[in-house]
Amino acid sequence: MAISAATKAATDALAVNRAPVSVGAQEVHRWMQSFTWDFEKNRTKYSTKYKMANDTKEQFKLIAKEYARMESVKDERQFGSLQDVLTRVDAANRVHPKWNESMKVISNFLEVGEYNAIAATGMLWDSATAPEQKNGYLGQVLDEIRHTNQCGYINYYFAKQGQDAAGHNDARRTRAIGPLWKGMKRVFSDGFISGDAVECSINLQLVGEACFTNPLIVAVTEWASANGDEMTPTVFLSIETDELRHMANGYQTVVSIANDAAASKYLNTDLNNAFWTQQKYFTPVLGMMFEYGSHFKVEPWVKTWNRWVYEDWGGIWIGRLGKYGVQSPASLRDAKKDAYWAHHDLFMIAYALWPTGFFRLSLPTAEEAEWYEANYPGWYDMYGKVYDEWRARGCEDPNSGFLPLQWFIENNHPIYIDRVSQVPFCPSYCKGASSLRVLEFNGKKHSFSDQWGERMWLSEPERYECQNIFEQYEGRELSDVIAEGHGLRSDGKTLISQPHTNKNGKLWTLDDIKKINCVFNDPLKAL
Amino acid sequence: MSIEVSGGRRGLTDPVLSAEIMAAIPDQPLETQRKMNYFMTPRGKRINEYEVLCCYTQPTPDWIPGGLDWGDWTQKFHGGRPSWSNESTEMRCSDWLKHRDPAFRWHALYVKDKAEEWRYTDRFLKAYSADGHVRSMDPVWRDEVLGDYLGAFGFSEYGLFNSHSSVVRDCLGDTLRMSSAMIGLDKVDNAQMIQMERTFLAKLVPGFPESTDIPKNEWTKGAIFKGSREVVQQIWQETYDWNEILFSGHMVYDPLFGQFVRREFFARLSSYYGDSLTPFFINQMQLYFSQTKGITTDMFHTCLAADEQFGAYNTRLMHAWADKWLPRTLTALKDFMGIFSKIPEIKGVSDKPAIEAALHRVFDDWKHDFADPIGYQVNTAVLIKTVLSGLK
Ligand SMILES: [Fe+2]
Ligand SMILES: [Fe+2]
Repeated sequence: MAISAATKAATDALAVNRAPVSVGAQEVHRWMQSFTWDFEKNRTKYSTKYKMANDTKEQFKLIAKEYARMESVKDERQFGSLQDVLTRVDAANRVHPKWNESMKVISNFLEVGEYNAIAATGMLWDSATAPEQKNGYLGQVLDEIRHTNQCGYINYYFAKQGQDAAGHNDARRTRAIGPLWKGMKRVFSDGFISGDAVECSINLQLVGEACFTNPLIVAVTEWASANGDEMTPTVFLSIETDELRHMANGYQTVVSIANDAAASKYLNTDLNNAFWTQQKYFTPVLGMMFEYGSHFKVEPWVKTWNRWVYEDWGGIWIGRLGKYGVQSPASLRDAKKDAYWAHHDLFMIAYALWPTGFFRLSLPTAEEAEWYEANYPGWYDMYGKVYDEWRARGCEDPNSGFLPLQWFIENNHPIYIDRVSQVPFCPSYCKGASSLRVLEFNGKKHSFSDQWGERMWLSEPERYECQNIFEQYEGRELSDVIAEGHGLRSDGKTLISQPHTNKNGKLWTLDDIKKINCVFNDPLKAL
Repeated sequence: MSIEVSGGRRGLTDPVLSAEIMAAIPDQPLETQRKMNYFMTPRGKRINEYEVLCCYTQPTPDWIPGGLDWGDWTQKFHGGRPSWSNESTEMRCSDWLKHRDPAFRWHALYVKDKAEEWRYTDRFLKAYSADGHVRSMDPVWRDEVLGDYLGAFGFSEYGLFNSHSSVVRDCLGDTLRMSSAMIGLDKVDNAQMIQMERTFLAKLVPGFPESTDIPKNEWTKGAIFKGSREVVQQIWQETYDWNEILFSGHMVYDPLFGQFVRREFFARLSSYYGDSLTPFFINQMQLYFSQTKGITTDMFHTCLAADEQFGAYNTRLMHAWADKWLPRTLTALKDFMGIFSKIPEIKGVSDKPAIEAALHRVFDDWKHDFADPIGYQVNTAVLIKTVLSGLK
């Protein structure tokens, strides 16, 4: 054994360099691209019509350990703030009740998006061939686990510390009852994970993250803070620091397919579909959460939307991808119209169906009505006066026997569900662009509210077969549906959902609902 | 006052906003049940933070056992394949959300541990280099074994890492998904640590090749890793059932081949060749191995084999999978025996009796920890004899 030679080699080396030496993350990362090897069956398990280039690089050049270090530093800061100063000042009990309710939905629904993004980026990690690109997606897989846990932490924190734990403490079980859930699953769940892998990346990263993450995660912190909530900014801004990596992943995905012939054929169609898919839900739901789910307003949703979605994303972000043949989606114009009225239309329906929620909703106050009218002229004549009527009929009072849903029935304004987006709409009473289209396929009727979704369905009806809540609940009595979905508080009789956040108002019980004997109908059957 | 507030005024600190908010807050909390996920069955006595933050985040309908949602998927794959489905695995389970990481690590706890390992690694490397420790390393061991074969083993870890991608996509539960991503990340960490060691050596020993070329050539064309390369490729790319991927990788191949290579070859022999550097890295990999073992034995033994409704069926299926993957793993080990002819023999350390004893430790551990709990019959002596036939 040549120990002497070994000693000599290393001794010589030490003569050259005696300083303490370590290895940086970048020095390891620069070999990443060579970690894979060719073999016959090396291919993805998830087909895509595009071909991702083998030499695709990533922008955030992390290795596993450095990733952990960076995230851990952020965690310390964030959880430190939450557990220390915010708890000491009793911050969860200094949040406006309306916003406390909104966070039941926002945090939990975002959690679903984060959670599905784990699976989505798992699929992309599989379908990418370049190790660096795989590594970028891997980082995102871990980030999305982080975000899932963080969103859960918000509900956990509000449940433990706040003024109304119901809904925060069981959103994962009760969220499936109401009219907003299935639409959320389309954009945040199935839209990310079921389809051509690149199409899913476009949904998740190019649209979901690059376009709606800004309004969702950044704007929400402004609304939160105005309404006394400092927990949400603490967590969401920490989430947002990871999102840059995700947008970069989306950008790299487009770069990786840019030279593939399929890109010039399909990319813009996929982008248009993805944009419409995401906006169809987010535009009304975010607008509704912000404006109707707050007391203090930051700015009209339409302004936020125009800035983030239309100008920043549709203009700058997509513009930057222009050199790869990416065009602004054709549906952007229609979306812009939706950004003005769609959230007002949706709130009306959501409020009418309030007993199926896992949160308390409230009608606009007089000063809010003024704010709506000032920012959305014509608001009062369409919505405000109906809310006055509902209030006069006692919609907030459990003894009134009145559910606003009855108003829709009495006035012959049926509520339908769009098959593709699963978003409810009322074609005979709305200011947004929804119009009723009904098609029959395999003996089943399907309603649609816009041409973009209808087109998606026409070309691939087998992808959009999901029954909607009216088909699911048809013939069943409302209190029965609520009880089955666990929509009750811990006393076993009071509803989690309520039609007001008035601290002196009476709370509705399951019996109050039962008395009304509201039975679900499938409006498609009447056609 | 106006309800539109601008200029970043905060409801918590702005006295005017705050007064209005406080006036709206109920005098008493409206709900007394403050425990999130109160409805779930905890693994231990009470619901812990990991269970609060991870459990039931999976939004599957109730026709996938464990799910709380109803109905169909809102968008499916082209052609109508569902987002998630029971058909994605041959295993059956009465509750796909039952699995727990025995260490109850959610993301923050997982990265905190790894961040500490990274900081300590950095400090260790600095001390090791300043100390001139590398002088004691046998050059054959250093240049041939670490430069070439340790580097080649990194590809096994990297391939196994990639086998987790489709598991993370397809598996049917939240805790399963998070655990799979974490044990996957540990595998790429192993591959990166191997490259880190090689880069480190290249800094200390002029002429030591840092490039992955030689190890990659060994991995793809050499005889020593031929069997393992084939198994890794099969796990990574030929296996679609996500449970089979996890089972073949973590319940058969890695506890046998991975354990022999890491613990019985590199970690054990290195000290005899004056190498105290490699054990530093291998010990981290062994920590990950033991954490992973906790996770996958929970998946396969605690959840699937013990499932009241499907346990017997699952156990039979695990036997079939073991029958399929064990012979391939034996071939991998048999091929790996070729490495002993490449190193200077040390009596009682790298001669045949010592190798046989090392194989006994690995196979006995495997029998005890992986085969016996599912009643899988193995004759370790016969298996070891097969492996030893690869000794040149
Ligand atoms: Fe995220
Ligand atoms: Fe993300």
